[in-house]
Amino acid sequence: MTARVAALDSVWFGSMTTTPIPTPDPPSQTGAQPVLAMRGISKRFDATQALSDVSLALYRAEVHALLGENGAGKSTLIKIMTGIHPPDSGEIILDGRQVQIANAMAAQALGIAAIYQEPMIFPDLDVAENIFIGHASRSVLMNWGKLHREAEAILQKIDVKLDVRMPARGLTLAQQQAVEIAKAISLNVRVLIMDEPTASLSAHEVEQLFRLVDTLRKAGVAILFISHRMDEVFSIADRVTVFRDGKWISTKPRSQVTSDGAIRDMVGRTIEDFFAKTTARQGDVLVSVRNLGRTGAFRGVSFDVHRGEVLGFAGLVGARRTDVGLALFGIEPADSGEIIFDGARVVIRTPEQATGLGIAYVTEDRRQLGLSMPQSLTTNITLPAMKRYVTPLGLVDSKREAETAEAFKTQLSIRTPSVQHPVGKLSGGNQQKVMLAKWLNTQPKLLILDEPTRGIDVGAKADVHHFISDLAGQGMAIILISSDLPEVLGMSDRVLVMREGVQMGIFNRDEATQERVMTAAMGQSASTSAFANADAASAIGTGAGPSTGAAAGRSG
Amino acid sequence: MTPQNLLRRWETLLVVLLAVVVVINVAQSPFYLRLDNIINLFQLSIEKIIVALVMTFVITSGEIDLSVSAVMGLAACIIAFLYSHGTNMAIAVVIALLAGVACGAFNGLWVAYGRLPALAVTLAGLIGYRGIARILLEDKSIGQFPDWFNALGQQPLVGPLPVALILFAILLICAIVILQRTPFGRYIYVIGNNREVARYSGIDVRRMKLIVFIASGTVAALAGILLAARLGAVRGNTAEGFELDIITMVLLGGVSIFGGSGTLVGVALSILLILNLRNGMSLADITGNTQTGVIGALLILSVLVPNLFGAFRDSRAKSRRAARAT
Amino acid sequence: MRRLVRPDQIRVFSLVVLLVAFVLFFSAQIPGYLSGRTFVRISTGVAIIAVVAVGQTLVVLTRNIDLSVGSVVGFTAWAVGMALASNKEMAAPLAVLLAIGIGVLSGVVNGLLVAYGRVPAIIVTLGTLAIYRTILVGVANAKTVTIDALPEWMKALPRANLLTMGDLEVRAMVALAVVIVALFQLGLVYLRFGRRLYAIGSNPDAARIAGLPAQRTVFLAYVLCDALAGLAGFMFLARFGTITVVAAQGMELQSVAAVVVGGVNMLGGSGSMVGTLIGATLVETIQQSLIRVPGLSEFWIDALLGLLILLAVASDAIILNRLRKAWLARPTPSGPDGRDDRDTGARVSDSALSASGAPAGGKSS
Repeated sequence: MTARVAALDSVWFGSMTTTPIPTPDPPSQTGAQPVLAMRGISKRFDATQALSDVSLALYRAEVHALLGENGAGKSTLIKIMTGIHPPDSGEIILDGRQVQIANAMAAQALGIAAIYQEPMIFPDLDVAENIFIGHASRSVLMNWGKLHREAEAILQKIDVKLDVRMPARGLTLAQQQAVEIAKAISLNVRVLIMDEPTASLSAHEVEQLFRLVDTLRKAGVAILFISHRMDEVFSIADRVTVFRDGKWISTKPRSQVTSDGAIRDMVGRTIEDFFAKTTARQGDVLVSVRNLGRTGAFRGVSFDVHRGEVLGFAGLVGARRTDVGLALFGIEPADSGEIIFDGARVVIRTPEQATGLGIAYVTEDRRQLGLSMPQSLTTNITLPAMKRYVTPLGLVDSKREAETAEAFKTQLSIRTPSVQHPVGKLSGGNQQKVMLAKWLNTQPKLLILDEPTRGIDVGAKADVHHFISDLAGQGMAIILISSDLPEVLGMSDRVLVMREGVQMGIFNRDEATQERVMTAAMGQSASTSAFANADAASAIGTGAGPSTGAAAGRSG
Repeated sequence: MTPQNLLRRWETLLVVLLAVVVVINVAQSPFYLRLDNIINLFQLSIEKIIVALVMTFVITSGEIDLSVSAVMGLAACIIAFLYSHGTNMAIAVVIALLAGVACGAFNGLWVAYGRLPALAVTLAGLIGYRGIARILLEDKSIGQFPDWFNALGQQPLVGPLPVALILFAILLICAIVILQRTPFGRYIYVIGNNREVARYSGIDVRRMKLIVFIASGTVAALAGILLAARLGAVRGNTAEGFELDIITMVLLGGVSIFGGSGTLVGVALSILLILNLRNGMSLADITGNTQTGVIGALLILSVLVPNLFGAFRDSRAKSRRAARAT
Repeated sequence: MRRLVRPDQIRVFSLVVLLVAFVLFFSAQIPGYLSGRTFVRISTGVAIIAVVAVGQTLVVLTRNIDLSVGSVVGFTAWAVGMALASNKEMAAPLAVLLAIGIGVLSGVVNGLLVAYGRVPAIIVTLGTLAIYRTILVGVANAKTVTIDALPEWMKALPRANLLTMGDLEVRAMVALAVVIVALFQLGLVYLRFGRRLYAIGSNPDAARIAGLPAQRTVFLAYVLCDALAGLAGFMFLARFGTITVVAAQGMELQSVAAVVVGGVNMLGGSGSMVGTLIGATLVETIQQSLIRVPGLSEFWIDALLGLLILLAVASDAIILNRLRKAWLARPTPSGPDGRDDRDTGARVSDSALSASGAPAGGKSS
């Protein structure tokens, strides 16, 4: 289901000029001046020209989306806007006056705030303190009553229900983001930068977040929204800017942008087939899971995975799909049910056991869990399979290690100066490939992928999808856990849907539509949440939930 | 600058400092570079440097063991206690070694499996094991060990080189091989870098850490036994305060306190540096007390100086960039 | 109010229960235990260690540690004693100021190195522990302070009472310690500086990004900590009179014990002065009372102290975790059936924030 390459709204010309002229952006409807304008910004880091002569203008009460592959310069621009780095050249104009943003505190004072994928909160302090922590306050004493009252007031303004006295430790990721937004509001934010805020949220929570963004927009905040999810961009943005390789490519009102055109701008080439899943001939059953459960996490999960099959795991946050993966991999073993692997009943209690059986798990969190950042590609790639690289004397065989690493470097097109380079210095997409290499090197029979394309650029994403397809074609059994619905639907032979630790159903490829999967993922009733009342029915009815449909704009 | 380059620079610095200290010492005493003096140099601190070797593993794996001096003292006290109550010395030695294993296992179980901070656990151990040593010996001093035992550390084994020194050399080589060239060493580095990554890569982190702590306790006990042999007498406070020297030797060698980086070559160099420094200070009639203060200062400098250099380099780069921008 | 029933409060409460249990146990073992004399003996011991522990708490809250306090106490006690012995006319407030001043000086050194030099606290304070003690030994030249050399008011100080209730005497020094604990407890809750201590320990990276003056705050924490150690040195001098060069050796371990037992998290971010005071009381009570239990030699104290620290840290980790999970599992507006619905996504939880054993500062995630 290559939904994304559905009928184009219009053919996009004009973005293929080799030297785009950075014109001041088209003014907003009211013709007012921008709140924040970046003009001709350049920034160099050692050998890399991160930004060259880039311009961007943010207007009041407008959501401005910024698209670009990894390395396009988006994070650098954010760092300049928030005072972390000074630009090498160019001007920053705030409300018509030129300013220098010397440091983070200065940015804050100017009303510029940023929210990232991983909220920075203080788990031991309560919510109210978290909201007001950054305030450069004159007072030496704390006024708790006032603190709690004001915190409650702000939360009410953005329609978020939280107990301000609760220690922040207990909050979900989405709630933490709400706290961050409340923090920004408390600082009278005028420009809010949101850097991939939805990367770890469920579709439901994304909806809540967008409602919040809408509230902010109506209040007059200028919002810079960075996301890799095209459909989100189309649903929330008023204008869309594309960067590529540190240069400004285009800025257009939302109505004039198409997903295919935007992708072309970002990549410089058309992506023919986003999802390249070829239907492979499937073999016999490799893994059989019956009534698997872990107390407090999930229960009653049953499925088969055939050799050569891609079984997708779909669901919202809280569905506990990762926990099933962790149970199969032995990190958090199940305490009920059974697993039959390759014909024999097995009990998996440790990752060593799992790898011994031929199960590999590629984590969703490559920074914290997936790779040892300061160490080389070689070390990372051979780590789980060290036993194969030992000489009779018990020493490590460096030559064979290097050979393995080189082989994967070629096979997966990993861009790196050498295999001895520390993986921490690679881009996100390449890091993901190293993780893949690491686990492929264990020659697994079952490969569990957890959000394999999260936060990586479009080109690398396509590479990964191609590769998964190839692997399945070679007979590997694959479980694909992904919150990207089009990805799951496009890549899977069958889709298993979970909701809050319970299996809701398994769909075959032809019967799995976005609506069916979403309905199953959300269960029967409308769920209540920390945020405003969500009406699940309305979300399903229009089929226009945030992660539906890539060729966006269409209904149903 | 990659971690590898940084380390090489650090080791070069150590070599330079070592050369300077040796030159100064030779100027103070023409007999300095004689073999028997060099042997003597090592002898005086052989127990500490043996423990420093294993402490390198502990710190590289991201942990710390503050209780080593207490385990040394405890092993020494166990020997003294048992021997003075009529036990065969050889058996007493074995029991002391087993005690070291037990202490290491105790530490390791709480840290690795109980997930308690190593600082707190080994601090408790520092107090507790010392306490047990005091229970055994109270405020007595026990000595008069059999001759074969007393000669243990000193007796020349290969040519003029005594047992203890050869033991150190063997342990050094083994340690280098294990840490740099075996899978176990790899695992230690990864665990020190990021424990969760190691776990998610199929490494049994808890078992590795337990092994490291058991090794630490065992080697500390061994060192305590050698210490008792060399001193000829044991008190309740034997080996008190040794952890300062030991930790300094490791950190001065370029091993990061946070774990995940550093080499034994660096530690060997820093050991040489500290030994020669102490000896040189003795030659210059600097009291043992002052020497301790100097070691304390060295410890701080070993981390402070690289930090300052790093900060200096960063600010220079920043101003260079700013200059280019204008 | 929910605030009252937080897991941390339960911990402090259980400490009090434990203390009472120990007191009852000892009163059964030791004849004449429940007397005014015992109270005076223990409370005066607690007074000194509590003052040091209050300072230690400030530092530990920021995810650091100060192992040099023992040397600071010893040095201050000796130096002030010598000063008083040479000028008997020195006014009392001046002597106190001198003590605090010496402490401030050490605190400045420690604070500069940890906060601005970015050297991990364990390294710095292990080093200054040796350096300060070295300076003391070097300066003292084996001279000791003897009690006879001290002015009269100094000799009378340890016996000065604040109030007497029949058999029970509350010494002035004890009252001072209680006042200090109370003051700093209030400071932790009502001073912005105090809240910053918690923030820095709770999430050092976020503190930096939020623009908190982290370096200055940690620096001040060390200055305060060692200033209090200096004050404790003065109290130490008053109590013991005779000061040798090994005075207060090991007191840093006792202060850490008091802090850890008192529920302050070694990884920073949580704990209170009230807990520290009770922890100090518990530690001192056990230490002093064990000596008097017939059949138990004094040499058992240290071993048991080590065990106590271990038990405190272990039970903390286990019990507090369970309590926290129970606390989170209650129905709240946060989810349909109150379940902790973190599935995928960045786990900004203990694994990311806690350093497994890295002594101070930890790894930044």
